[in-house]
Amino acid sequence: MRIFQRFPWLQRWETLLLILLVIVIAVNSQLSEFYFDADNISNIFRLSIEKAIVVVVMAFVIINAEIDLSVASIMGLAASVLAYTYEAGQPLIIGILAALIVGLICGLINGYFIAYLGIPSLVVTLAGLIMFRGAARILLEDRSVGNYPDWFTNIAQAEVIGPFPITIVIFIALFVLCYVILQYSTFGRYVYAIGNNLEGSEYAGIDVKRVKMWIFVASALIATVAGIFYAARLGNIRANAAEGFELDIITIVLLGGVSIFGGKGTMLGVGLSLLLVLNLRNGMSLTNVNGNTQTSVVGLLLILSVLIPNMAQSFQTWWARQSFGDKEKRLKTEEV
Amino acid sequence: MKNISRFILVVLALAWSLNVFAQDVVVAEPGQELDMILMPKFLGILVFDQAHDGAMEAHEELENSGELIFNAPTPENAIPGQIEIIESGITQGVDAIMISANDYDQLVPSTTSAIEEGITIVTWDSPVDPTGEALFIAQVDFSETGQVMADMALNLLGEEGGQFAILSATPDASNQNAWIAAMEEVLAEDETYANLELVATVYGNDDPDDSYNEALGLVDSYPDLGLIMAPTTVGIAAAAKAMQDEGLCEQVAVSGLGLPAEMQEFTESGCAPEFALWSFTDLGYLTYYVSYLLATDAIEAEAGVSFEAGRMGEYTIEEDPTREGGLRVLMGPFSLYNVDNFDEWAITDDMEEDMDDEESEEDSDS
Repeated sequence: MRIFQRFPWLQRWETLLLILLVIVIAVNSQLSEFYFDADNISNIFRLSIEKAIVVVVMAFVIINAEIDLSVASIMGLAASVLAYTYEAGQPLIIGILAALIVGLICGLINGYFIAYLGIPSLVVTLAGLIMFRGAARILLEDRSVGNYPDWFTNIAQAEVIGPFPITIVIFIALFVLCYVILQYSTFGRYVYAIGNNLEGSEYAGIDVKRVKMWIFVASALIATVAGIFYAARLGNIRANAAEGFELDIITIVLLGGVSIFGGKGTMLGVGLSLLLVLNLRNGMSLTNVNGNTQTSVVGLLLILSVLIPNMAQSFQTWWARQSFGDKEKRLKTEEV
Repeated sequence: MKNISRFILVVLALAWSLNVFAQDVVVAEPGQELDMILMPKFLGILVFDQAHDGAMEAHEELENSGELIFNAPTPENAIPGQIEIIESGITQGVDAIMISANDYDQLVPSTTSAIEEGITIVTWDSPVDPTGEALFIAQVDFSETGQVMADMALNLLGEEGGQFAILSATPDASNQNAWIAAMEEVLAEDETYANLELVATVYGNDDPDDSYNEALGLVDSYPDLGLIMAPTTVGIAAAAKAMQDEGLCEQVAVSGLGLPAEMQEFTESGCAPEFALWSFTDLGYLTYYVSYLLATDAIEAEAGVSFEAGRMGEYTIEEDPTREGGLRVLMGPFSLYNVDNFDEWAITDDMEEDMDDEESEEDSDS
């Protein structure tokens, strides 16, 4: 295991993700001649851009040792509020503002209960998951609302930079911004500190409540933006929009090496995991692997992401003990 | 001389008109290479597998050396998953995509860009907005579905009528919603059905457990309920099972659209005395034929165009009366399954024994 001592980065989760990503890209390009088409590369991101946007903020939530199950319902509610106001004859810009205000309120509700009343985020955001989706269903019932103006659907559909729509550019900007905040800012340090040791952070004088409040408000607002993008991409919204997305989002964050117990994980890992899952899914759909198998493969990957670090740990301990035993034996033979 | 020339003219006119008529019905030219995707709503549902069987039958019959891909998303990924398959089809440059849509509007941006790339989009079972498809293969006339459901309800509840409820699939399913609307229209317009009272419409999400619970919930909420009408094969079987398990078949009958193989035991026990359906195998077969003809440019998607669909005979593309600006090929008709014709459709023990005998005979031969 001397190699790990000389190159400590080899032991990092991000390295494994990078290797897997390279393998997936290599296999994809072998199996499908269309993989490197500009349109396909755009598709890889375009078809999951809303999830990708929320993943970036979910990383903050989980590193902070919390969870936000309500993101997909907030996406659906935001899109439904937009659709509802548009259906009522308001200009679309009013609908977008209304959606952002509703998203902000959702975030404040989540944040207040979690940060200031100390109720576990699992419970609060599970309630949010049900409640916000319920609100969306009250607004739109079983109607679907479409026929938005072109400038709006173009946000997600028009090819602005090469084959890429503007939403992808916004995602990249958001990722860079969050990367800097999480890894290089004081706020980012606070997020890790609180995730590692809540009480210690309080004693150290960190305003824990405020940090948590900010995170949940940001999570809700970004989910709102993602919901608006989803409406723009589909050009038509129902109350069930984005239903179930929270599981994919959390899966990608955990696969990125973020510990569900908080305090561990990097934005680099999350970014690599996102690329890995998106490329894997794209490769499988290009080769017409059926939906059930696709879901199973991603599930398998998640299980491995938990198993491999644990097994690596056990292996290292075993190896250390072995080589220690060897040394003892050698010493004994020398004595003899 | 005059007579002869007149005679020749008549003969020529006749020949010309015959020729025109012969050209009117287009027959597919087999052996062309087309890659096609058949996309149902979900995988693992019997009726969609039957549609796949039908499409494969047509695929072989037409000697298509291309690929017939059968793929669908998982239920929790219903709409984004269908979009993904369509977009992937565009990237792969397939020639036709045959879709049973999980949503009437949300697939349209994808199907439209597929059409722009020259891909034939044919919907079957559940359509999309006409702007996003060439045409729709309608299993039966949607208004006829309403009529058939109303008739079965009247038949089961009797002249004096009573309360009934609808157990549907999902609130977004465009075909179920259209059928329910058609049934409500029949009930409202025709005096014959004045005594039938629709008290509730609930959704079991095409999930057996959800549908089972929704059916029991209906019985609890409406003590006078006499009938559950389920226009979905999953819903009707779950509702019939729920009534049978609870011993409620005497009070609450179950009817709707069901699969004979699944409904047989409930018709026998009297829990589901009558239900209706069409053949999904035929639907898959016809859908494939139409898509093949369109993708090989043998026919155009225009009202009035006639073609021959293999063993199923001649069909004509027509305006879809249920969707403005839409085109359809109407398959039809409905088959009614009930106690009176039970022997014709049920697989009885005798027949199973016969089949077993045949199998064992074959075994002994070999």
